[in-house]
Amino acid sequence: MFRINLIKVVIPFCMVLFTIAVLASPQPKKVVDQNGQPVLHASIWVDGKLHLPIEEDGTVRSSETKGTVVKIVALGFETMQLSWEEWQKREKIVLQEKSGILDEVVVAATRTDRTVESLPLPVTVLNSEKIQQTGGLRLSDVLQEQTGLQIVSQHGTGLQMQGLDSDYILILLDGEPLIGRTAGTFDLNRLSISNIERIEILRGPSSAIYGSEAMAGVINIITKSSGRENQLDVGLRHRSFNTWNPTGNLNLGSKKWNTSLFYDYFETGGFDLRPETIGQTQNPYQAHTAQVKVSGNLSEKWQSSLFVRAYQENSTGEMQSSGNEILDMNNSRSDLNINPTLRFKPSQKFLISLRGMSSWFSTNSVTRFQSDQSFFDIQNFDQFYHRTEVQTDFQATPTHLITLGLGQLIETVDATRYEDKNRFDAGYFFLQHQWDPKPKVNLVTGLRGDFHSQYGERLSPKIAGQYKFSENFSWQASIGAGFKAPDFRQILLNFNNASSGYYVFGSNLAEEGIRRLENEGLIARVLIAPENLGELKAESSWAINSGLRWKIGSKILVQGNLFRNQITNLIETAPIAQLKSGQNAFSYFNIRSVVTQGLEMDFNYAWNNHLSFSIGYSFLDSRDLDVLERIASGELFQRNSQNQTVRVTRADYGGLFNRSRHSGNVKINYHHPKTGIDLALRGIYRGKFGFADLNGNLILDDKREYAPGWMSLNINLTKTFSNGIQLELGGTNLLNIETPAQPNNPGRMLFTGIQLPLMNFIKN
Amino acid sequence: MKTNLKSIFYLLIFFGAFACDTTDDAQPRVELEAILVADLAAPNDVIDRNTGEVEKVNPFQYFSLEQNAIVSETDDWDLAFKGTTIRTNSSKNVKAAIVSGIFEEINQVPTSATFATDSESTFAIPTGSGNGWYNYNSATFTVTPIPGRVILVKTTGGNYSKIEILSYYKGNPPADQIDPRATPSGHYTFRYVLQTDGSKNF
Repeated sequence: MFRINLIKVVIPFCMVLFTIAVLASPQPKKVVDQNGQPVLHASIWVDGKLHLPIEEDGTVRSSETKGTVVKIVALGFETMQLSWEEWQKREKIVLQEKSGILDEVVVAATRTDRTVESLPLPVTVLNSEKIQQTGGLRLSDVLQEQTGLQIVSQHGTGLQMQGLDSDYILILLDGEPLIGRTAGTFDLNRLSISNIERIEILRGPSSAIYGSEAMAGVINIITKSSGRENQLDVGLRHRSFNTWNPTGNLNLGSKKWNTSLFYDYFETGGFDLRPETIGQTQNPYQAHTAQVKVSGNLSEKWQSSLFVRAYQENSTGEMQSSGNEILDMNNSRSDLNINPTLRFKPSQKFLISLRGMSSWFSTNSVTRFQSDQSFFDIQNFDQFYHRTEVQTDFQATPTHLITLGLGQLIETVDATRYEDKNRFDAGYFFLQHQWDPKPKVNLVTGLRGDFHSQYGERLSPKIAGQYKFSENFSWQASIGAGFKAPDFRQILLNFNNASSGYYVFGSNLAEEGIRRLENEGLIARVLIAPENLGELKAESSWAINSGLRWKIGSKILVQGNLFRNQITNLIETAPIAQLKSGQNAFSYFNIRSVVTQGLEMDFNYAWNNHLSFSIGYSFLDSRDLDVLERIASGELFQRNSQNQTVRVTRADYGGLFNRSRHSGNVKINYHHPKTGIDLALRGIYRGKFGFADLNGNLILDDKREYAPGWMSLNINLTKTFSNGIQLELGGTNLLNIETPAQPNNPGRMLFTGIQLPLMNFIKN
Repeated sequence: MKTNLKSIFYLLIFFGAFACDTTDDAQPRVELEAILVADLAAPNDVIDRNTGEVEKVNPFQYFSLEQNAIVSETDDWDLAFKGTTIRTNSSKNVKAAIVSGIFEEINQVPTSATFATDSESTFAIPTGSGNGWYNYNSATFTVTPIPGRVILVKTTGGNYSKIEILSYYKGNPPADQIDPRATPSGHYTFRYVLQTDGSKNF
């Protein structure tokens, strides 16, 4: 058993490099998938020995004259085994795609390459085909179709996973964290999907390897790199709301070096769900994404790569001030990531990676009065993040893989609402042991320690195990700790709302802020003496996940996962002093405790080579423990529709806002053999969810406080011609359902697109 | 200004009126009548939202629970309203306390209630969302009375009163029909019970 393998993804490349020149053979064969496309990454084994290269069109020329068993292995396909006679006879080897995606490689879960099947954790991998089927342009378009994930509008387009908000989900790009959040939300619209190779979705807390933020889970976005081939692709997509998205991708490969250049321009007119008010629901914006990826083998043992990504976005819009003046807004956001990596592989047993990552994120928003263009407000935010990390993987024996990581990070922020330039320093280590004690059992144990200049130190353990009852049925369970460090805002904010006269102080500035207000004679009553405020602690969680993967025959795959997250020390604002004006001064406290728990299930069925369908279902239960306590002690009341005051009962309480108890999806994929058209039809259901308090007690406990459930019907048609040109046509929310409580849904959206692999034409 | 004071709730239920023995109080105990005050207009100062400067100062509206009427500042007022702020008449030793419970069920002043008077800088009925009588919902931009908050007041006449604020918007609309931009705010609808015999029972 050598399931844990340091060099798993390297195999396809090595294969190519180590193969011997082969003589032309009278019986060339083609290795293709069900659509007739060549499977270039397949490897062919004769009697257990790696054999035979595959040419660019999928042709295999055999030089072997004898053998007994031939095995054809390819990632994403069922392994095919043929007798020598059968192998000799066939001209075409058609590989069957695996039901589900259990053999996709996942990096996010362990920071080493492992297949989904071998991981004792709930992971989903979306490959480029699945990504393309959504017809999406931005990351949110893809993620909203996945079981158990929701897209919520909250200071941007954020993700919700296992009932937890964007604040608690770590977003990685090629394994490196992306920075730049607005009030905790990472705006998924900042990420174009046009050069994404695959997306790894890891559910459950992963602070044991990633530290802060990875409390609900991790999204790892892997960008494309096309190996040694020269490629030049251009594409153009257009969709409703005046949205245009041209892209270009150039790949230059040689034996040793590979360079990818990528550029993506996105422009949209935005949309307006409430035309009666001034300002659009989503303002028009233009975004540029440019990426450079260079990687190469310095020598047999040394490998290096450099990744640079730049993003720039501008938006303009109007809004009405509460003083009824019309304001012009000009907002911009930019992002720069530089990520050099050096990998050293002294022997088969060791792999040492040194990674650096520097990111700059800044936003600038200028608001002026439309009447005379005088300034209403100017806000700047500049964040810098640097991380240096060294990771050593040691394959002690075929069944033990030990990983040790050490890292250091610096984070600075300089913003209008913060005083001075602020800096955080942190160091961390992580240790991980992947172990297959028995062929049917595998274990992953991890521990991470974080040492931070602001919130002290923190240890996050996790243990995960899998038991394979058979090749087709396995059970996984994990228990782990998650945490989220207080962010800059919670520590450093120094904000005064001029129009309504309240103040918000980060925990570090509260004492000083209150003293200042006291000296100015503004304070009526101090509610909590600043010296008693205490340190703001990290928000922390414990979670259990338990699931199964069950292959029924070769056609059906069932995956499910049960989870429970218990989170304490959630940070919220609370008043610390009353001002003479009647307003309050607020600061941040560790006050809330919540629980989210539920079930996620995916059922895939491959009817035949051309038709498959899947059903996903997610059940989510969430609750605020403090609210439950107040209900139990009869302290929580509501106004019913007759405006009478009654006690809230446990049955009235609907949990946290913006969480759907039930959600799910149905997907049908069909390949029409004659025309070569691929059809992907999806219905994405989001069950009813609480959107706002309407009866005065700020909790979800009234029928009027729910937004109704709804289904988005999405379709995508693609046709790939033999010369590689690809056309697509489709639409989302075809039934044009309006969801006022979910302002990120613009209504029906139609799209069309074309992809041109220009290199194909140049070569010919 | 028109004072729109109406009494609506006539719940005249006689406790023990028919069943009590003659050894009890000579007078049968009458359930006190709840008085509804509708749309007491007490708009806040007009503030320039862009600069935060006060453009127009509005007066407090002085209300006497004893008289069930708006009175002038020099009269025996109990409560004064402006915006979300409710003052109590400290010069006449009016005291107030906030308790939690269902209005009808509060049949006496709880021993736990702590009465306070307004000082120069503090209010017996605390201001600010969640502190006193209202919540401000930043998602819907509305001010809603906190369900189950009952204000107890010891009036200028030394009598106890219990008050429940029902709405901050004109016409007492259901909370889901409030449009914070269009519905006039600063219009109090509340009901109260005044115990005129000086006891702590309602």
